Amino acid sequence: MIKVFPRNILRFLVLVLIQVLIFNNIQFSGYINPYVYLLFILLLPFETPGWLLLLSAFLLGFTVDIFSETLGMHTIATVFMAFIRPYVLQILAPRDGYESGTYPRIYYYGFLWFLKYTVILILAHHFVLFYLEIFRFSDFFRTFLRVILSSSFSVFFIVMSQYIVFRK
Amino acid sequence: MKNLLRFILKYYFILLFVVFEFFGFVILIQNNNFHRSGFINFKHAVEGNFAKRFLNAKDYLDLRNQNRALVREINNLYNLQKNAFRNAFNNSPEILDTLLKQHYVYIDARVINNSTNKQRNYITLNKGSNDGIEPEMAVLANNSIVGVVKKVSPNFSSVISALNRDFAISAKIKKNNYFGPVTWDGRGYREVILSEIPHHVDIQIGDTIISSGFSTTYPEGIMIGTVKDFELQGGNFYQLTVTLTIDFKNLTNVQVVKNLMKQEQIDLETSSTND
Repeated sequence: MIKVFPRNILRFLVLVLIQVLIFNNIQFSGYINPYVYLLFILLLPFETPGWLLLLSAFLLGFTVDIFSETLGMHTIATVFMAFIRPYVLQILAPRDGYESGTYPRIYYYGFLWFLKYTVILILAHHFVLFYLEIFRFSDFFRTFLRVILSSSFSVFFIVMSQYIVFRK
Repeated sequence: MKNLLRFILKYYFILLFVVFEFFGFVILIQNNNFHRSGFINFKHAVEGNFAKRFLNAKDYLDLRNQNRALVREINNLYNLQKNAFRNAFNNSPEILDTLLKQHYVYIDARVINNSTNKQRNYITLNKGSNDGIEPEMAVLANNSIVGVVKKVSPNFSSVISALNRDFAISAKIKKNNYFGPVTWDGRGYREVILSEIPHHVDIQIGDTIISSGFSTTYPEGIMIGTVKDFELQGGNFYQLTVTLTIDFKNLTNVQVVKNLMKQEQIDLETSSTND
């Protein structure tokens, strides 16, 4: 348990670097831009207190914002995602709740559970992010397409990471 | 205070979320020109809308005062309008001419009260003795007969309308100069009666009836109307129904005729009958 903090701080830094250095430079056909740094929020322990969750989301979003020169957008979207995370976890909870000592990963709760969890949160984040970027509703469906496409790619990379990096 | 603290503790997650999102928006708007202009536009729209609504409500509550102010303004305008004033001078001066001696002076006036539906109709004019109007003066409109002045006050005069059972004028048929009195039978405001025309006189419907000038009041040749109908009355005289030329229902501008030689004629006539 004591190792949770340094491990998460390290994860924070690594994910931000990966996002900024690699994934920010990937733009499939101008529409699709996967955001894998959200994995940090997804993988936070179940017991994370609310204030820490929101604060880390704020810092994470802000850091990504600084590097991608979109000050505010990622912050707002990530904080929103962190805000709904406890409610999503509540909805998706297994019948006997989350066991202590487990983390929200495929390893513990299976592929389907993780996919649902990821899709909901990523969609929420991307939705806020892309509409905030456009800042108007006139191109609603065009933006919606971007949300869907980018979300599917983000989800793909995040789920893949479960099999490649976070196997245990 | 304790309740407030408990509330904050209970909902701190949501409150913290709001706080963080607020900071996020502040950062967003501070640093992105596009978002800032969008936000400012939105803000202005909202403020403008609110200001408009507020002003509407204020205007509505102020309607009473506004109405009062408007009524006052309207009164001021009415007071400035031309018909709030009357000409202080008699604008029909008597003209001195060495060849033609002036017989009649015309004074223009406006009808300010009128009726056509009674048996004894009177007309009120907006000029009186200050303007040179005296009783027994003829009143004309478009050189057609209107009536005769009955009484005058300094600024107004009361006129016996031709539509009055007491009214009578000496008239004649223009083409052959046979004359008789014109009176009103009180039936309709478009018609008067010319009687005492001898039965041998040639009369056609449409003949023009004018004033005879056989009085000190009316000049000769004032239009009265046209013959509408005629019938023999008692075997010896025709009675003619005459359609009036002027419509008394829309009478507005009239002329009052002053006979400058009236007194001379009256004096002569009375002295000759007395002899």
